[in-house]
Amino acid sequence: MREVIAAPLAGLDLRQHYGHHQSPAVRAGGLIFCSGMLPVDPQTGERRHGTLTSEAHIILGNLKLLLESAGSSLDRLVQVHALIYDSIEYDVLNRVYRQYVANGPPARTVWTAQIEAGFKIQLDVVAAA
Amino acid sequence: MSAKREVIPLPVRAPDTASGSGQPLSMAVRGGDFLFVSGLTAIDLRSGERMQGTTASETRQILTNLKQLLDAAGSSLDKVVKVNVLLHSMLEERNMNEVYARFFPDQPPARTVCGARLPDGVKVIVECTALV
Repeated sequence: MREVIAAPLAGLDLRQHYGHHQSPAVRAGGLIFCSGMLPVDPQTGERRHGTLTSEAHIILGNLKLLLESAGSSLDRLVQVHALIYDSIEYDVLNRVYRQYVANGPPARTVWTAQIEAGFKIQLDVVAAA
Repeated sequence: MSAKREVIPLPVRAPDTASGSGQPLSMAVRGGDFLFVSGLTAIDLRSGERMQGTTASETRQILTNLKQLLDAAGSSLDKVVKVNVLLHSMLEERNMNEVYARFFPDQPPARTVCGARLPDGVKVIVECTALV
């Protein structure tokens, strides 16, 4: 079964705000696949550009909201792809990231990519439902 | 109990092991309830020829091929759960998105789009995971 997960707060619906043709997340086969998470205000959808640290905090906060609304949580993440604008920020990413995945962190891959709207980080994750 | 893993044979000329192209990949592999599809570039599935074009035309070709591949593998576009789109430039995001929307009219899959350095002048790569 495949089930689309709606945005728990209006700002997290990137399709509505930015026309991205995607669902916030999809549940299937015991897993939750999330669309690429960006640093937007969860209430208004406004872009929150900042440092990699500030953007990562917003993204992980949004991810927590989205996963918990779907009955999952950050503790149930199984795989994370962290896309960052420059690999020089790898250690900076780790400092923020470790605060959110204290217990048995998920599998993770980090690479450098061009992220939309000049953001510094995007997280692409799969969690256990 | 171990879940089933199966390389799906597909009736197309795609750059994979089955077609004899020498590329060490399978176009689609089933693992458990999921079908994992390799990153697709714009090609003609009958001839295997590259179909280089604009971001929009390559997106259209790739998703047309994806539909055919999924159908042949016993899945379908409406069973896709996650798509990753790699673009040669994020300035082309809108051009991709407009075409993409036509292939997933309702309840679109989760998706991540990013800009990346793609090989051989390719403008778009699409990979996906679907239920099967």
